Amino acid sequence: MSLVTVNIDDKSYEAKENSLLIDLLILHDIKVPYFCYHESLGADGNCRMCMVEIEGKKRPQIACDTFVSDGMSIQTASEKISSVRKRILELELINHPVDCPICDQAGECKLQDYYMDFGLYDSNIDMKEKVHNKKHIALGSSVILDRERCVLCTRCVRFTSNITKSGELGVINRGDKACISTVPGMKLDNPYAMNVVDLCPVGALTSKEFRFAQRVWFLKSTPSICHGCSTGCNIFIDHNQEKYKEDKIYRIRPRKNREVNGDFICDYGRLSYKNLQENRQQELLNKSNVISYEDALLELNSKISGSKNIVILVDANLYNEDIAAISNFSQKIGAKLVCPTECYFDDSFGDDWLKSDYKCANLQAIKNYKIDSLFSSDQQIDLLINFNHPSFSKFSSKQSVEFSTHKGSSAELVLAIPAYSEYSGTTINDANIEQYSQKAITTDVATISEYLSDLSKVAL
Amino acid sequence: MIILEDKKIVSSKFHIENSHTLSVAKEHGTYSSIERLFTLSSEEIIAIIKESHLRGKGGGGAPAGNKWALMPLGELKPSFLAVNCDESEPGTFKDREIISKDPHLLIEGIICTCFAIKSHTAYIYVRGEYKEFSNILQSAIDEAYEAGYLGENIFNKGYKLDVIVHRGAGAYICGEKSALLESLEGKRGHPRVKPHQQECEWYFDNPTLVNNVETIASVPFIVKNGADAYKEFGTSSSPGTLLFAMSGHVNKPGVYESEFGICMMDYINHYGGGIKNGKKLKAIIPGGASTKILTADEVGLAKLDYETMKALGSSLGTGGMIVMDEDTNMVEALKNLLEFYHHESCGQCTPCREGTGWVDTIMQNLLDGVARGEDIEKILEISKTMNGQTICVFAPAVSDVIDGFITKFRSEFESYVREDLT
Repeated sequence: MSLVTVNIDDKSYEAKENSLLIDLLILHDIKVPYFCYHESLGADGNCRMCMVEIEGKKRPQIACDTFVSDGMSIQTASEKISSVRKRILELELINHPVDCPICDQAGECKLQDYYMDFGLYDSNIDMKEKVHNKKHIALGSSVILDRERCVLCTRCVRFTSNITKSGELGVINRGDKACISTVPGMKLDNPYAMNVVDLCPVGALTSKEFRFAQRVWFLKSTPSICHGCSTGCNIFIDHNQEKYKEDKIYRIRPRKNREVNGDFICDYGRLSYKNLQENRQQELLNKSNVISYEDALLELNSKISGSKNIVILVDANLYNEDIAAISNFSQKIGAKLVCPTECYFDDSFGDDWLKSDYKCANLQAIKNYKIDSLFSSDQQIDLLINFNHPSFSKFSSKQSVEFSTHKGSSAELVLAIPAYSEYSGTTINDANIEQYSQKAITTDVATISEYLSDLSKVAL
Repeated sequence: MIILEDKKIVSSKFHIENSHTLSVAKEHGTYSSIERLFTLSSEEIIAIIKESHLRGKGGGGAPAGNKWALMPLGELKPSFLAVNCDESEPGTFKDREIISKDPHLLIEGIICTCFAIKSHTAYIYVRGEYKEFSNILQSAIDEAYEAGYLGENIFNKGYKLDVIVHRGAGAYICGEKSALLESLEGKRGHPRVKPHQQECEWYFDNPTLVNNVETIASVPFIVKNGADAYKEFGTSSSPGTLLFAMSGHVNKPGVYESEFGICMMDYINHYGGGIKNGKKLKAIIPGGASTKILTADEVGLAKLDYETMKALGSSLGTGGMIVMDEDTNMVEALKNLLEFYHHESCGQCTPCREGTGWVDTIMQNLLDGVARGEDIEKILEISKTMNGQTICVFAPAVSDVIDGFITKFRSEFESYVREDLT
């Protein structure tokens, strides 16, 4: 496709011929309001917000249905366009309840943003003249619909019809009584259902989990990689440390990566944050007694030096850096390093889109380090050191040590380690793409690398 | 008073008893174009239709031949004909006359059209409320199948043609051709975003022609008698006839076919028997509710053709005239229409979805005596926002209606305003 030059607000831009004008505007951060357009869902043309003035056209045109051609001249902020946008925005808002103070979307709501950017008019309608509608409809087990806040952009409908092809949602009724609804006999409960909450540009669709939990402007968004399966979807971990409280994750959102997950994640991954902060191992335990870090290292060291046949289990969710450190460590102490992968496999979980059959984030690293995925031994294990592998309880050994993120370990020596959200590292997904997760939550617990490097000092 | 000569192309059998049955229709000349039809090629028929300057009779008045020529003939994909009988425009009731009084003429037209565009399936999308008329049409189709005029091998000419009646669910917007096809595909009747180039319509991604019932019913005459015979009627740019209709304050409301170009007042006096109760004329909505209203003075200048009506700032539309006498309350009349549009807006795009409701609310306030002077300006401003910013022409039509009523009869609206309100 050949490149053409387009003139936007008296500046020249290059673009692929016949590409969508709105994509060009978004790419270059040229302010253009829109509700219905979405890169993954395409243009629908219903919101009429993305009006621009095109030289030679009598009327304003919508940028989401304009294909660029050479020499095209576009105005995005002329007086005419500003007034058209303002008037259409006013229409979007006349039946909106303006209940921002109790709306979860406040702070990341396109209606609010556009009102501040393009509106700023005085209201012309009486509250009692507004069309009222239901404000709490559970579309499924995780998504709540407020019909009064809806702008009928139909992104949610198009997501279920074009992306998941499950078709749970539709528009019912006409005119200003038109509203989103589930199709009779259906619930919005597909494995990707909660993406509609992100897609909704306003507060019409909210997540049951996140409703009223936190104001979005208090949240810090940390880029990370989902550890739900080996696809490695890019995510934001949204968290906040309230005064006198612990840093807490309030939600996980998809982070755009066209190579991996596009704009979406599955609900399993989205809700996996709960497990990251429930039932967590915080202390270091020796035979159920809390011990200090130093004592724990000494105890570990003595267990290693007193054992001959040592087996190390490593979890396929750990970061590459952990696996490298563990691999070195096992060579140093002459241990057998294994990662049985059978326990991660679940073909009822995987699908042909984002969910893979292996529910672990770094299987590729296990393969790269040539760590055995099958383990059987006739010999009695003297010492079993487990780095958070879920199958620990299936092995018997004379002595056992477990580095664990969660409570419930049966090992004699239990060493708390942080979950992936609590330190940084890299993982390799099943398409062999290495990806970096940033530390989101602060914790006092030592990482595996810290344990192992401090252990080597003790051993000296 | 001027006496008009009857000029009938599609309504010639309306007065005959049992004209909806095959035997009577055939006796009076229906299906007589078929012999000539099969001696012509697709290209020849389309050329004849183009040459006749037959214009679409559903309201737009676009040249039908040009539309037919957009059909990609000889493609691998099947092509379809969708006959638009979703007649829901207030003041318009002509198509139902055809399907109930001369359904075989429509079937004949469908045969001619399908043969021209190489289509083997035609759908007739009938307005949901037209149950009774639809039943008559269906029994005519059944008769045609039985006679071998429809089906596997029509008229033993080796051509297959199926005609299927599809009843809508009662949405005005499904008369918009792309919404009609969406509905026919089983989806919600939402108009489609218009293509950037001139192209045919698409039914399940197959090339499709959508034409009004009356347009299709005019085709047999042209096929049989040629383009020149058709052009003998009407004016040079609006040739032929139209099933004009009258409702409202006239003595004889109804559907009366007439050629294009005659004076509107002559039509009303001749066919409608003048204004009811000898009252004075106040205004006429010329072509279905969605055309701009004409004042009595403008009606005096109006001729029933596309060009004159356009010059008057209105349009001929469907030719269904709504006549209002001097006692008509324009504020109530507009409110009546706006209730209709409020109810029928499909709700797809913002200006129409929210605008039609808002203007209706303000009009109600005006009638309730709780509106202020600035509210009239507000209505006009909303109407401006609805014009030219939407996917289909529904909102621009509403805008024209509002504009016509308020600018031409502003003092009546102002008399409802309460300036003492704070």
